[in-house]
Amino acid sequence: MPDVTEPLLSVQHLKKYFPIHRGVFGSVAAHVKAVDDISFTINKGETFGLVGESGCGKTTAGRAVLRLLEPDGGTIRFDGVDLLSLGKQDLRRKRRDMQIIFQDPYASLNPRMTIRTIVGEPFAIHAIASGSERDDRVADLLKTVGLDSSVMNRYPHEFSGGQRQRIGIARALALKPKLIVADEPVSALDVSIQAQIINLLADLQQQFGLTYLFISHAIPVIEHISTRIGVMYLGKLVEVGTSRQICTAPKHPYTQALLSAVPVPDPAARKQRVVLRGDVPTPINPPPGCRFHTRCPIAVDRCKIEEPPLRQIEDGRDAACHEI
Amino acid sequence: MTDVLEVKNLKTYFFTDEGVVKAVDDVSFSVAKGKTLGLVGESGCGKSVTAMSISRLISPPGRMVGGQILLNGRDLVPLSEREMRQVRGAQISMIFQEPMTALNPVLTVGFQIAEAVLAHEKVSKKEAGSRAVDAMKAVAIPDAEKRAKDYPHLLSGGMRQRIMIAMALVCNPAIVIADEPTTALDVTIQAQILELLDSLRERYQLSLILISHDLGVIAEVAETVAVMYAGKIVEIGPAMNVFHNPKHPYTEGLLRSVPRLGSSATAGESKGRLYAIEGSVPNLLHLPNGCSFAPRCYKKTVECTLSEIPLEAVDEGHLTEVRCIHA
Repeated sequence: MPDVTEPLLSVQHLKKYFPIHRGVFGSVAAHVKAVDDISFTINKGETFGLVGESGCGKTTAGRAVLRLLEPDGGTIRFDGVDLLSLGKQDLRRKRRDMQIIFQDPYASLNPRMTIRTIVGEPFAIHAIASGSERDDRVADLLKTVGLDSSVMNRYPHEFSGGQRQRIGIARALALKPKLIVADEPVSALDVSIQAQIINLLADLQQQFGLTYLFISHAIPVIEHISTRIGVMYLGKLVEVGTSRQICTAPKHPYTQALLSAVPVPDPAARKQRVVLRGDVPTPINPPPGCRFHTRCPIAVDRCKIEEPPLRQIEDGRDAACHEI
Repeated sequence: MTDVLEVKNLKTYFFTDEGVVKAVDDVSFSVAKGKTLGLVGESGCGKSVTAMSISRLISPPGRMVGGQILLNGRDLVPLSEREMRQVRGAQISMIFQEPMTALNPVLTVGFQIAEAVLAHEKVSKKEAGSRAVDAMKAVAIPDAEKRAKDYPHLLSGGMRQRIMIAMALVCNPAIVIADEPTTALDVTIQAQILELLDSLRERYQLSLILISHDLGVIAEVAETVAVMYAGKIVEIGPAMNVFHNPKHPYTEGLLRSVPRLGSSATAGESKGRLYAIEGSVPNLLHLPNGCSFAPRCYKKTVECTLSEIPLEAVDEGHLTEVRCIHA
C-alpha cells in the first residue's frame, strides 16, 4: 500500500442479492441483484455521497455496510477490522462505532417511548451510564442537536418533522460513533427545514470528527455535503470522484444525464437537457454488457456485450464506460 | 389576454374539534390561456387545498366559506353538485402526485381514459376507445393501441403518470391542475414529464396550474409564480421577478436555502453553511397576529405583528404583489 493512512471504511466487491421465491414451495426463481459488486473507500472525517435513482441499490449498499443486511459477497474493512468475520457479540460491540440516521423521522421513532428512552436506548443496550448520569448525557445530546433538554419527557408525536430528525440524530450520536450512515436524512423534510438539518450535520462532523456515508437521490444536496461522490445505476457504481469532478464535469453518460435532469431554481436557466429515453430496466434481469446501454446516448455494439469495469480515468476519478 | 380561470378571495376553512383551520385564506390569482401558473410552498401552506377547492373536492370538516371561482367568466361556486360534475373532468381536470393510487388496478388503462370521455360526451364506446388511444399517443406512449389493454401494474411510474395526463387531456379541458405531478418520480423521469407537460401546453394552448414544493420544478415551467405560506399568498408575480428579485423575506429565504447544483465549482471542498430560515412553519390553529411569517423573519418589526398585512403591488408595472410592509 502506497498510502500509510488506512481509510476508515473500505468496501470491496460488495454484493447483496435478494431471492425471489415462486410457487407453493417457495423455490428461488431468480435474484434481484440490488448491489452487484461495488467497491469504495471512505477516509476519516470525509463525507462520501452515494447518489442514484430509486432501485439503484444505494440504500441496500448503506445497510449492507452496517451488516443490517447480510452481504452475499465482498469484504468490508472498518476501522482496521474485517466486519464480515465478526461474530454476533463482536459485531454488536463494533456497532457502537457505526450508526444510522433514517429517512422517515415519523417511522424511525417508537411512538410509545419518551424522548428520554429513545435517545437513552443506545446507553441501555450497551450498558453504559444509568440513572441520573444517563439523563445528563441525554440532555447533553439534545442540546448538541439544538433541542431543549426539557423535551425529555415528551413523545415523538409532539414534534415536527425537523425536530424528530434532530432526535434521530441525537440517538445516532449517543455512543460517539466514528461512522454515520445517513440514508436520505432530509428527503422527508420541507425546504426550509432541510437547510437547518444539513447545517447541523456539517457542524456535528466538524465538532466530533465524524465520517458520513450520505445516501440521497437529491443531487444538489449530495454535492453540497459530500467530499466525494459515487453514482449508482442498477446495482453498480458507474462513476466515483470528488464532488467537484462529478458535479461540474461529469464524465459518465449516465452522470451527465442525471445532472442535466436536475431542475434548477432559475427560470433563466431553462436549458437543453439530455433527456433519457425509457425507464430504468429491472434489476432482476439487468441488460447484458453495460447496464446503461439501453438508455445510453453514446452506446456502441461493444457496450451490449462487454461489461465495462470501473477504472481510473483521471486523478481521483473512476468511471465504468468503454467510450471515455 | 383572456383569463381562463380567475380565483377571487378564495377561503377554505376546516372546522375541527380543536378549532378553525384557515387552510386557504383569501387567495386570489388568475391563469391566462396557454399559460402556466406555479403554486409553490411547503407542506401545509394550502396549495393543494386551493387546487381541491377549485375542483370542489373539499369534504367535511373542510368547507369553502368565501370567494369566487370564475371559469371563462362563469362563477362555479353557485353550481349544484350535478352541474359541477359536468365541469369536473371535462373543463377542469386534475393530475395527482401518486399515479399508482389514482388509477384503478382492475381496469385497463385504455378503459379508464375512455371512461372519462363517456362520462362527459355522448359518444359510442368505440369512439371513446379510439379517443383514449389518441390521447395516449399525444402523451408519447409508444405502442399506444397495445398499451391501452394493459393494467396499471404493468406500467412504470413514468408511464402511469403519462396515462394520468392522457386522462386529464382527453376531454379538452380549459384548465389542468397538476398537483405535485413529478414528486413521486425519479429525476430523469421527472424531466421527461415536465417536458411533456410543457409541450402539450404549447400545442393545445392549455392553461396549467402546477403545484409543487420544488422551486426547481416551478422555475422550469411557470410563467407566473405564487408563493404560499400558512394559507396565504405572500408573493405573486412573473417567474423572472420572483426568482431573481424576491421581495418577500420568505421567498428570499426559500431561494437561498436550497443547495444549488454546481456549488462545488466556486466554493471548493468546504462549501460552508446553507442559509437556513429559523424555526418552523406555525400551527394553523394558532397563527400569530399580523404577518404569519413574522416569528421567523429577519426583517420583523413591531408593526408586522399589529394587524393583517395586505398583498400589495411593489413595482412600477404592478406585476409583482407582496404581502410585506418592508418590501
